[in-house]
Amino acid sequence: MEISKYMKRNVISIPETSTIREAAAVFVKHHIGLLPVVDKNKKLIGVVGLRDMLALELPDFLNFIADVDYVHDFGAVETTRPPAKTLDKPIKTLMSPAISVPEDTGLLRVYALMLQHQLHDMAIVSKDDELVGVASRVDIGAAILSTWSKVA
Amino acid sequence: MNLPAVISSLIFIVSLALIFSEKINRAIVAITGGVIMVGIGKILHFYSEEVALEAVDFNTLGLLLGMMILVAMLEPTGFFEYLAVIAARTSKGKPVRLFVLLGSITTLLSMFLDNVTTVVLIAPVTILISEILGVSAIPYLVAEAILSNTGGVATLVGDPPNVLIGSAAGLSFNDFLIHSLPIVVFTWAGALVLLLYLFKKELSKRPRNVKAVMKLNPAETLNQPGTARRILVVLGAAIVLFFAHDLLGISPSFVALESAAFALLWIRPSFPDVLKRIEWSVLIFFAALFVMVGGLESAGVFASVVGLLERAVHIPPVLFGVSLIWIVALLSAVVDNVPITIALIPVIQGLGENGMDIAPLWWALAFGAGFGGNGTIIGSTANIIVTTLSEKTRTPITATLWNKRGLPVMLLTCIIASIMYVILYSTF
Repeated sequence: MEISKYMKRNVISIPETSTIREAAAVFVKHHIGLLPVVDKNKKLIGVVGLRDMLALELPDFLNFIADVDYVHDFGAVETTRPPAKTLDKPIKTLMSPAISVPEDTGLLRVYALMLQHQLHDMAIVSKDDELVGVASRVDIGAAILSTWSKVA
Repeated sequence: MNLPAVISSLIFIVSLALIFSEKINRAIVAITGGVIMVGIGKILHFYSEEVALEAVDFNTLGLLLGMMILVAMLEPTGFFEYLAVIAARTSKGKPVRLFVLLGSITTLLSMFLDNVTTVVLIAPVTILISEILGVSAIPYLVAEAILSNTGGVATLVGDPPNVLIGSAAGLSFNDFLIHSLPIVVFTWAGALVLLLYLFKKELSKRPRNVKAVMKLNPAETLNQPGTARRILVVLGAAIVLFFAHDLLGISPSFVALESAAFALLWIRPSFPDVLKRIEWSVLIFFAALFVMVGGLESAGVFASVVGLLERAVHIPPVLFGVSLIWIVALLSAVVDNVPITIALIPVIQGLGENGMDIAPLWWALAFGAGFGGNGTIIGSTANIIVTTLSEKTRTPITATLWNKRGLPVMLLTCIIASIMYVILYSTF
């Protein structure tokens, strides 16, 4: 079972020259969790996860307070937006190096890699590193579970 | 000076330079310096393993270890967070009130517990509270560090220099309450008022969301209320025993270790977890410094220094004490006050053996080492901790900021301490 059969092919991506603000608009418009960043030859150079974007909005104290059970209202934090200066930074400052798999990778390997790197979506590339698809945990999980109906 | 004195001084000075440069972990430098001191001492016949072992002040180490164990058990219970949340709610989100409350809680805790742990646990909640309020955390963080440094001077167990001085000079817990506490009360109040003035612009900014602070639930900060209660009972008993340790003829380190043992037995926590929270590097650093300073002593370095001081210094004892406050304070502002204290103790003892009245000098040393740390961003571990934490937020504390707000406080506390030192000199 190769991932190429189950991945989404109409991938939304953004050029490496975009800003964080532009990336946010793409996330909103397409309701996605992972945004691959490509160069002008459509080669995958990195990914931006929804979580990386939200980290800009989350308060700093979450980095050093493990237990927030007693905080019932985040108060001013709820209405604190990232400064314009941050939003106008190039997306390249926020993206992480792409973790991707070739399109002939088996489903379980893709899923294992997603667990290991705590990803919810995986970018899929062709032999020459061109971005050809994206698969979510749901895509992979459903593909695997669908085979169970044949178990006698 | 003879060869052993020159060589041992060289080992000590190089080690200090490396410690102050902060290029290598200070415990690693100290342990290496200690080993070299003993090794060279054996070759040149001025130091031996037996003498080195005698140089280690186990009273200091025991007191530190005992208190560290108690704090290590209190830490995960959420008690510190509990107090901070109570302060936040009591303040009703009013910045000045919150400032005074958080500062006072940190001070009270650090009078009996390790400053570093207190600040490590209170500072994150402080950042949380100020973010919820929508105000800058800087004034609160700076005040917590400075007030905990200042408050720590008040008691025998409040900060490491006091533990060292108390042990070396045989001063009891009550001696500190009688001689140090009154002076600290005034310097602390002075520091608080000056801080309020220096931060008046930040503190006059209206918080954006007060209601959210009132929704913080203190009960939910306590992970293990039962454990917290037991440790507080043991800590309370320990403080009572500290008051009476001189009368009962037991050492402060015995009180701390016996309280730790009792608490461990009563609560029976996961011991590996407790051990993980103990600052072993601090204990090793102290032990290794003792070994190094013991080498200097055996090589006769301190005898030469004392001789030199007596020939060179012909000023009235009161003035000598005040100069000691300022010299130690200025040194403590730029470098770690522990090695300074450990190195100055034998010098003061030497002056005493030659007939000088050294009782007042111990207090001068304690004040200088304690208040000096307020002056710079690297002056004390508490300062370093709040700075490091603030660097992870959107409003980091900078060295320039500390020089504008901390340095004046250091100068004021040292001035108040000097004036009171002169006034109370005859009572020391």
